[in-house]
Amino acid sequence: MKNIFISFILLFFAFESNAQIIKADIIATGLTCSMCSKSIYKQLTSLPQVASVDTDLNTNTFTVTMKPNTNVSPKIFKDNVEKAGFFIGSLVVTAGSKTLENYINVEKKQLPNSKQVQVQILDKGFVTEKEFKKLAKKHKDIASYSGGNENDFHFKMTN
Amino acid sequence: MRVLYICLAFLFTQFIFSQELFVVTDPASNIPANSLSVRLGNSLFKEKFENGYNYHLMPEVTYGLNKNLMFRGTAFISNRENNLVTEGGSLYSKYRFYSEDDLNSHFRMAAFGRYSFNNSDIHQEQIETMGHNSGFEVGLVATKLIHKVAISSSLSFEKALDNTSKNPFPNELGSTATNYTFSIGKLMYPKKYTSFKQTNINLMLELVAQTINENGHSSIDVVPAVQFIINSQARIDLAYRHELMSSMFRTAPNGVYLNLEYNFYNLF
Repeated sequence: MKNIFISFILLFFAFESNAQIIKADIIATGLTCSMCSKSIYKQLTSLPQVASVDTDLNTNTFTVTMKPNTNVSPKIFKDNVEKAGFFIGSLVVTAGSKTLENYINVEKKQLPNSKQVQVQILDKGFVTEKEFKKLAKKHKDIASYSGGNENDFHFKMTN
Repeated sequence: MRVLYICLAFLFTQFIFSQELFVVTDPASNIPANSLSVRLGNSLFKEKFENGYNYHLMPEVTYGLNKNLMFRGTAFISNRENNLVTEGGSLYSKYRFYSEDDLNSHFRMAAFGRYSFNNSDIHQEQIETMGHNSGFEVGLVATKLIHKVAISSSLSFEKALDNTSKNPFPNELGSTATNYTFSIGKLMYPKKYTSFKQTNINLMLELVAQTINENGHSSIDVVPAVQFIINSQARIDLAYRHELMSSMFRTAPNGVYLNLEYNFYNLF
């Protein structure tokens, strides 16, 4: 019983410390107008975990700053951009290296031990369809990449 | 890599803010999930065989249930009885079943259906379940976005029913029709976005055609339009519909549209 209890406590802390995204830079695809950008903007700002959203209408980039100590996975961004009727063309998340240990690094390059590492999420739905086809070929030796488990996230470093 | 992405996105998006929110036809894209759009459609068409104008007022509410499915309810009010009378209403639904989005384009397809109820007198051969005939319409629409231009085309089947037992559909007329539309829209202003508050101006041109299946009688209309998007939330359409050719009997083919629309995002 004690062991289960400790496991729960550990699990709790594991989630708390591991799943924190500080910031997300989203480039959305398929937009037609500022009305469309606004629907994405409103969708993102309505999320309780989001502190602020900055928008560049000319590049369709949404910079989402998260509130501290919130547990979210990259899926929240995909789901909400798609709810607005569009898709993610690129998602770069800023997170601590501890958080990123839960995700799969497709490159051999070692993650720096830092509180702020920027990585691009490479899974289906987080890059354009064309890009995903290319990446699926490139990473065919990583079984989980084309595995289709939506809780598996693959990334590469951008900085 | 990220810099490259942003540079690429920047290059492409300079050309891709296109418009597909057409006046007469609906594009394959839906309104956002959990959002509500309220529209007041006005049309004023000149009567061909008598003096005066046929005015239609169509209040409309559209709701996005999820990212692929939306519903719309419309009420039909017109002055055919001289004073404004509510003649009926319609329920419309559209399901987006295909999307191929890229940084500089998208291609989408959707299926749609409408059921309309109307109790007005049937006074022309043209079948129009938006405000004239009881009946239904089912169809497909495909929309392509390339750079600043959106192109959309639809094909539908329309069936007219009795406008209540008081106004049965005339036996001598064909009650089914095939509709074809082709629409093109272009964003004219702004050249570069600075904020959500900027007014967007779009120019559009639509071709709307109908063939009565039973006898082949057809018509083709052209609809040029100018559209203003205000504060990225409200929309004003001003359009003129003109008959290019027709071999069917129509009582008021030419006229103008004025649509006022407001969007509420993330209602619940």
